[in-house]
Amino acid sequence: MSKHVIHVRLNGEEQEVEVPAKRLLAGMLRDDLHLTGTKRGCETGICGACTVHLDSRPVKSCLMLAIQADGCSLTTIEGLNGGTSELHPIQQAFLEHGGLQCGFCTPGIIMTTSAFLSRNPDPTEDEVRAALSGNLCRCTGYSGIVNSIMAAARAMRASEPAVERPGR
Amino acid sequence: MRDFELLRPESAAEASQMLHRHGEESRLLAGGTALLLALRQRLLSPPYVVYLGGVRGLDKISFVEGEGLRIGALTRIADVADHPLVRKHCPMLASMAGQVANPQVRSMATLGGNLCYGDPASDPPTCLIALGASVQVTGTGGDRVIALEDFFTDYYETALAPADIVTEIRVPAFANDASGLYSRFVKTRAEHRPLVGVAIVVRHEGAACRWRRRAVGASTPIPGRLPRAETFLRGKEVSAAVLEEMADIAADEARPVSDFRGTEEFRRDMIRVVVRRLAADVFGIETH
Repeated sequence: MSKHVIHVRLNGEEQEVEVPAKRLLAGMLRDDLHLTGTKRGCETGICGACTVHLDSRPVKSCLMLAIQADGCSLTTIEGLNGGTSELHPIQQAFLEHGGLQCGFCTPGIIMTTSAFLSRNPDPTEDEVRAALSGNLCRCTGYSGIVNSIMAAARAMRASEPAVERPGR
Repeated sequence: MRDFELLRPESAAEASQMLHRHGEESRLLAGGTALLLALRQRLLSPPYVVYLGGVRGLDKISFVEGEGLRIGALTRIADVADHPLVRKHCPMLASMAGQVANPQVRSMATLGGNLCYGDPASDPPTCLIALGASVQVTGTGGDRVIALEDFFTDYYETALAPADIVTEIRVPAFANDASGLYSRFVKTRAEHRPLVGVAIVVRHEGAACRWRRRAVGASTPIPGRLPRAETFLRGKEVSAAVLEEMADIAADEARPVSDFRGTEEFRRDMIRVVVRRLAADVFGIETH
């Protein structure tokens, strides 16, 4: 089995990791680097609990080899708020609006949300639901999650200088 | 997942040589969203995986006047959806790409990988067949172009030879009097694979239809055109009643499969509904 040395910028820090060819990104994050905020759920690309950012885009870390992240920048739930112990506005909104019950799907949903809101800071509820099409929650029935995301979007818009969105 | 040797070619030609050398013992890895599932479930256990991540220049999109879009095979589906040239010259393709699977898969999956995998329940093949697209292929036998209509041969089977690599997808430019749309049916938003996919491209002649190309996929082993429904509309004044009759012909003509996701009868009904609604949208006609 071939071994490969990969270089990633993980949560803002340069890392060099040696991985066997078949190591999944989710496995490297959790088992090699002990970043266990990223969850392994269905492990078949459906549930999205393993969602992380690869070069600022949401990806399922159980559906890709660690080697595919070579030379890329990675953000996990641990690095969402620049590694500070403060809650990110999305995490705060999930707390306040009942966006979680058991919490297992939450890191993945929050990572999906943060990538989505950075592209679409003023979404409709329908756009939020479409953005969540790659994440499953088996507790909440999604209303709490959608409410949390709408609240997070409002909070983040309020704290950022207003940017006009064309056509809205 | 079984162990494998990961090979990292730096060009499509080098990758093709690796496939040639290892034959059936090797598989290509592009975005990985499909292959990784097959590897993890041990549907495939190739001793060699040829990873295309180090091949540069195959993720570019350009538009050639009078010819059309050229999309590098390693272009991510999300980039097909977002790219200004695709949105401008082929909004039907951009909108289809924005519906594939889910955001996380679109970030990784490549357009070339999607086509080469030959998954019958997928969106891009149907849409690209209706658009008259073709793929540029490089292999040990040299370069050639395959029309997408001839590309899919059966469930997960394509016309590619073992050492062939798709390098580019070519989508002909729309004529000024042409328009087209893609639509699909999924039972819930969390279902990522369409039960039915329909694409329609037409050229208008006043209220009549001069020329049309339609394709149905996801219900059938391979996506294909519907010649009877295509000829039915030619030269006709289009109305809601005409479109309804055409949708009946399409549903009758298609050969959907029965499986755990839907029976043949259900799929036929959904083909009828999607074709009727989509055609009404293409022609701007109100229907019930």
